[in-house]
Amino acid sequence: MSVVVDNACTQIWDALHGGASVKSLRVSPAVYDVVAAARSGEVARNYPLMLLGLPLVADDDVAIYDPVVN
Amino acid sequence: MLTEEENEALCRVGPGTPMGEVLRRYWTPAFQLGDLPEPDCPPIRVTILGENFVAFRDTEGKLGFLDELCCHRGASLTLGRVEGCGIRCLYHGWKYAVDGTIMETPNLATSTFRERVKHGAYPVHEAGGLGWVYLGPPGTEPAFPNFSWANAPQDEFSVSEIIMDCNWMQAQEGSIDSSHVGILHLDTLATMGSGPRSVGSFDFAGEPWDLDMQVPGGVRRMPGDAPRPGVWPSEDNAPRIELETTPFGFHYAAIRDADEPGKKFVRITAFVLPYTAIIGGSNGGVIVVPRDDYSCSTIGVFRLPPGTDRAVAEERVRRGIDPAVWGPEPENRRLKLPKQDREAMAAGKSFAGFRGGNRVQDGAVQMSSGKMYDRAKEHLVPADLAIIRMRRLFADSIRLIEAGHDPVGIGVDYDSTQVTAVSTIIDADQDWRDLVPGHQGTREPAS
Repeated sequence: MSVVVDNACTQIWDALHGGASVKSLRVSPAVYDVVAAARSGEVARNYPLMLLGLPLVADDDVAIYDPVVN
Repeated sequence: MLTEEENEALCRVGPGTPMGEVLRRYWTPAFQLGDLPEPDCPPIRVTILGENFVAFRDTEGKLGFLDELCCHRGASLTLGRVEGCGIRCLYHGWKYAVDGTIMETPNLATSTFRERVKHGAYPVHEAGGLGWVYLGPPGTEPAFPNFSWANAPQDEFSVSEIIMDCNWMQAQEGSIDSSHVGILHLDTLATMGSGPRSVGSFDFAGEPWDLDMQVPGGVRRMPGDAPRPGVWPSEDNAPRIELETTPFGFHYAAIRDADEPGKKFVRITAFVLPYTAIIGGSNGGVIVVPRDDYSCSTIGVFRLPPGTDRAVAEERVRRGIDPAVWGPEPENRRLKLPKQDREAMAAGKSFAGFRGGNRVQDGAVQMSSGKMYDRAKEHLVPADLAIIRMRRLFADSIRLIEAGHDPVGIGVDYDSTQVTAVSTIIDADQDWRDLVPGHQGTREPAS
């Protein structure tokens, strides 16, 4: 996760520096599952899964270490 | 966030743990030189990275750093006598030199054992008022990084150590977390003279409340004085974070809109793997060293300006220290949090309610997370980029060590004397990297 989070955070800052807004974070289903398992309490309360302040979206087309900021 | 397994790997530091193996490949600051002031003075016990050692200064002034327990029957050498260029165990009189040579075994007449076996001993380097040791495999120690702030004579340093009862990562992450400074440390900024500030909807009058606290630079605003311009020249509590990986770790800049139009306030920190944050605006660094999995030492090492009266400087360090909370004496270094002053908070006099300055305020929140925080529960934000990058570099180092390589920052050429940090106001379009020209490192100068 340390690599995934670092790559995502760097992308977010790059987007913000470029004047873009960021709305969600697409990750591989494997990463999504890891976050869901770690945040079981939030899942049980029906809170959305979020990472770095962005809603997480599982996407089969996203590689494990290359999350995509939208 | 980290999974439970990743958190364990990051936090645990004992022998054989992933992070323990990484940390043992760097020079580790282990004790204050001031605790071993003269030849043959009493030895000290040192706990670092989950192990206990004895440190002593022999008759010739050489430092020894040995496994704590006598290799005969396991009595602590911290009880021993330092004499005749060695340390002698009280139990049966076995005597050891600084390099671990077994000099005498009074209850074993033959010499075969002491000729063939050595006691565990580790290289020691004196710098910056600290004794640094290398606990990695023999013969693998890297060159010592000669940071400019650590090269002055010992009496030109102010060294202060606080032992905190929490995992070292909680303190280390705080040392590279600029976005908390304008919030948690409002009381410090007020004493420095920043004037009124706000956090969200809370308006803080900014009158100095804790008049005795230590403040960076030592200059403070007294009641009735006007605010001092430039103390913290920004109302911006959401700094933009920019980071550049360097051979030694990284530089990161917290960039805030300055109060002055067309300007920005940049606070650049150099993080030198694995222990040291050189913080902009200071003349030294904050070093966080794990004692074991549940306690750490935070060591402030600051070079005194040339010509500083030593006695005056020491008095300044001691100013505001409540001995019931913490003190520089060896037996009083463990932080005991003061009672939070809720009345002062409710009256708007204090934001955090903790007297004692930044390190007490930091200690309060960092220890409040428990002995070892579970990072699966955290919600990081982009402002935490430096913390995120540090964890990645440590994870990379774990993988490198497991693959038989050096960890990040070891075995690379850079001029450690050029590693600097800055806190200043610059033009809005200026690149902060211009302020730290050694940020990408240069080759060590030829000797």
